[in-house]
Amino acid sequence: MRYFVRKIAFFLATLWAAITLNFIIPRLQPGDPAEVMVQKLAGKDAQLNPAAVQAMRAMLGAPDGNLFTQYVSYLGALAHGDFGISYTYYPYPVTEVIGQALPWTLVLVGVTQILAFVIGITLGAYAAWRRNTRFDSIVTLGSTFIGTLPSFWIALLLLFVFGYTVGWFPTSGGYSASTPGFNGPFITEAVSHSFLPALSLLITAPIGWILGMRNTMVMNLGEDYIRLAKAKGLPDRVVALRYAARNALLPSVTGFAIALGGVLGGSILVEQIYDYPGMGRLMGEAIGNRDFPLLQTLLLFIIVGVLLANLVADLLYGVLDPRARRAQS
Amino acid sequence: MTTTDATTAAATTESVPTSQTLAADTRRNSHPLLRVRDLSVRFEPKMSPALTAVDKVSFDLLEGEFVGLIGESGSGKSTLAMALLSLLERPGRISNGSIEFDGEDIASMSQEDLRHRRWRDIATVFQSSMNSLNPVMRVEAQFRDAIEEHSELRGDAVTERVRELFSMVMIDEKFMSAYPHELSGGMKQRINLALALCNRPRFVLLDEPTTGLDVVVQRSILEAVRRLQKEQGFAVLFISHDIGTVMELSDRIFVMYAGQLVEQQAATTLVKDPLHPYSKGLLGSYSNPRADTVRVTYIPGRPPDLTRPISGCRFAARCPEAIERCSSDEPQLLPLAGGRVACHVAHLQRGPSEDKPDGLPEQTTRFAGPEFVKTAEDSDRARRGEVFLEVDSVTKVFERRRGLRKQQTLAVDDVSFALRKGEVTALVGQSGSGKTTLARMITGVDKPSSGTIRFTGSEGTIAVEKLRTRQLRDYRKHVQMVFQDPYSSLNPALTLRYTLTRPLRNHRGLSAQEADAVAGELMETVALTPSNRFLDRYPHELSGGQRQRVVIARALAANPELIVADEPISSLDVSIRAEVLELLQELVTGHDIGVLYITHDLLSARLLADEILVLSQGRVVEQGNALEVIRNPQDAYTRTLLDAIPNPFEQATTTS
Ligand SMILES: Nc1ncnc2c1ncn2[C@@H]1O[C@H](COP(=O)(O)OP(=O)(O)O)[C@@H](O)[C@H]1O
Ligand code: SF4
Ligand SMILES: [Mg+2]
Repeated sequence: MRYFVRKIAFFLATLWAAITLNFIIPRLQPGDPAEVMVQKLAGKDAQLNPAAVQAMRAMLGAPDGNLFTQYVSYLGALAHGDFGISYTYYPYPVTEVIGQALPWTLVLVGVTQILAFVIGITLGAYAAWRRNTRFDSIVTLGSTFIGTLPSFWIALLLLFVFGYTVGWFPTSGGYSASTPGFNGPFITEAVSHSFLPALSLLITAPIGWILGMRNTMVMNLGEDYIRLAKAKGLPDRVVALRYAARNALLPSVTGFAIALGGVLGGSILVEQIYDYPGMGRLMGEAIGNRDFPLLQTLLLFIIVGVLLANLVADLLYGVLDPRARRAQS
Repeated sequence: MTTTDATTAAATTESVPTSQTLAADTRRNSHPLLRVRDLSVRFEPKMSPALTAVDKVSFDLLEGEFVGLIGESGSGKSTLAMALLSLLERPGRISNGSIEFDGEDIASMSQEDLRHRRWRDIATVFQSSMNSLNPVMRVEAQFRDAIEEHSELRGDAVTERVRELFSMVMIDEKFMSAYPHELSGGMKQRINLALALCNRPRFVLLDEPTTGLDVVVQRSILEAVRRLQKEQGFAVLFISHDIGTVMELSDRIFVMYAGQLVEQQAATTLVKDPLHPYSKGLLGSYSNPRADTVRVTYIPGRPPDLTRPISGCRFAARCPEAIERCSSDEPQLLPLAGGRVACHVAHLQRGPSEDKPDGLPEQTTRFAGPEFVKTAEDSDRARRGEVFLEVDSVTKVFERRRGLRKQQTLAVDDVSFALRKGEVTALVGQSGSGKTTLARMITGVDKPSSGTIRFTGSEGTIAVEKLRTRQLRDYRKHVQMVFQDPYSSLNPALTLRYTLTRPLRNHRGLSAQEADAVAGELMETVALTPSNRFLDRYPHELSGGQRQRVVIARALAANPELIVADEPISSLDVSIRAEVLELLQELVTGHDIGVLYITHDLLSARLLADEILVLSQGRVVEQGNALEVIRNPQDAYTRTLLDAIPNPFEQATTTS
């Protein structure tokens, strides 16, 4: 129990630190932080765009009052989900813009990450169990080879072949004519639009899991408890799963939880190539337009995502590995 | 059950009851339980040369018999064990021969058929078994899968059985739901033993089941093994390099050298009259610690390289009894004196006199090789030396934070003693008794919480507990450590020349050329001669004993006045331990160095030390002249330690 309490406390402390840094950094310079920030982003000699300053101020809070009251009102705004106004999508609030993009990314990257993990772990475990066989060589060499290919190149290739040459799948967007919502036509369209981006991600994403799982498991297979499990006359299936894979899985599970934390950040490259309406594309736009409120909020989201994922990873590890609970509590 | 023999078939279906009678019966009228013929195991690694680790081994093991298998490390004991369990992994494989269990060849049986016999017929407790339980499964679950796989028991019946097994090895049943990391090493080994017995096997293979545990714990586990074996009548093959315990426990002994069995003999006979010179060498590493003069022999050199072809007797290069024939003809394992032995000389000596060639050595029961001797006079002389290290009321308290609370551990509690020049003082105690903490304070690594440590060296008297970083560096020139494991304390990538000349140049500020010359002398001091042949070698080209010599030579390079040796021989084979003791002894007498010898083994303390301090929970519970402490222990804890020393010779004389 102690272990879990500690991990949660640690999470809260880091979260608070991240939020506070987000507040402090813009205020380290003299002057109105919003004006300074906008000036910085726009370039020295550019005219100050009042809308931009306004948007920035909405995000940073009013410059008046002492630092403490500013901090309190900043926290209050955060608590109400008030992150300011995007000036790329002026006058929509940042939260609304992100709210539109988030589901797309969650589904696309989330589903592919989970699939990639399951595929990777299974292949890796099987390759390890059949180590030094042809299956193992094909899987290991194959994934090492694919791992050397640049992922944008794979995405472009797929886009070119299946999008343009054969024309089986749409080449951009998340849907075309249907109304977003829970209805048949929309879901069909969303799936077919997501297919190529998902495939691009799926080709490279399992590689890390495959190689990681294989190597850990090969190492575990040399452990005494595996030999003893065999000596006990347990069926291969039980030795492989309950004894070898169960132990080899531990490092991957934490890795997986952390990888899921990255989902909020989307997959910038692939979303841009397929012009997919998710967080990755939004991030690209925010950078391109120097949309500071949007960018800042996206970063905050990503940080929270990663922290949360780490927390989940720690908690999960505590559940899966009895040693962790004691060693650190 | 496909056995052809009616009696054994009946016996097994009745699941081996109170079976001493049964064991005796089967021994008389049936085939052996395990019949191994010409078994060879080859390792054929991709990167290094192939070797035959087990070479044409043949033996029988009877139902209910307790057989010990001894030999130096690397002699192939574990490989043989793995072959018997059909658990060899690549690059190892059985290259020849058969293993019949109860009349069926298990070496050629299908994996699936074999699987059903595992753990029901053949069970095992592994070497280094510290790690043979799955760390993420509760202990009970690891019993449950083995029981359910091979029996009809399910559910609560299994729990009941596990409870019974736990009480059999005297572990509280509350640990059934524990995870392995929550158990101590000794408990784990008891549980492994209980696990091995969960399906009432007929044969249990024990591969060094207690190596690495404290002597007292070892003792209690082995007693449990012997008791359960008597009660349940399973056959045992007990592998160990601890010859003393093997001798005490076993009915019969197999001696293995360089992949072959060189002697098979009843334990009582072997103790009194070992036939093979190698057996004599192994036995010679024991001596009665209560005698005025202790003498132990050691076998010089190291086993042959198994990747090269060997002609003649494999032991010839190390054998003090070798005759001409030994280097050309390979001796066969032939019957002699109720057992079997593979030695030309042993057979000739006991054969008809007309066959005896000239120059045949006299028949002896002791190893005719080098010997380490320590007499009472040696000790008396040492105890008259000049005191140079005084430890006075030293206490060490460790504080550990646990959340907001502070937890205090009293690691060393009010310890005082003096060390003289030319004297060896042994700190004896179980792990956790504070030996190493005390040593760390004496070498200046840790500071005592209270008390003083005075060191009087060539530069006057130093208060060790007050030294600061710079002064400490100077102090450490006078004080050198020799650690437990010679394998990890030498850098494998450096030649011995480099290992030795570096401290010479650093500590003594010698030029490269001078350092080279002194390194040569040091090698001579530790008897690695001619030094030129050794200096350009790498650690892996040396035997364990030779490596430990190099570690000692390196310690000597700084010209120390005190050597702290922390378990310097416990990782070495018994056959070469005396070699290192002999060297340390020579240093003490020849160079007037004081040695603090740290060990958990009272026997080796007796061999080397003049003075013994027995530590328990940080306190000195007994202190005095080594021989006195051994002969007349005052403290109960010392007596426990003493009782844990196996004494095969004593037993041989009392039981025969
Ligand atoms: N996996 C392996 N690959 C190559 N050689 C091995 C392997 N395992 C053991 N050996 C060699 O087999 C010989 C016997 O080793 P082992 O059976 O462990 O001896 P013991 O148990 O008596 O110490 C040694 O020479 C060792 O180096
Ligand atoms: S055969 Fe010769 S060399 Fe081998 S052990 Fe016997 S006496 Fe020694
Ligand atoms: Mg071994």
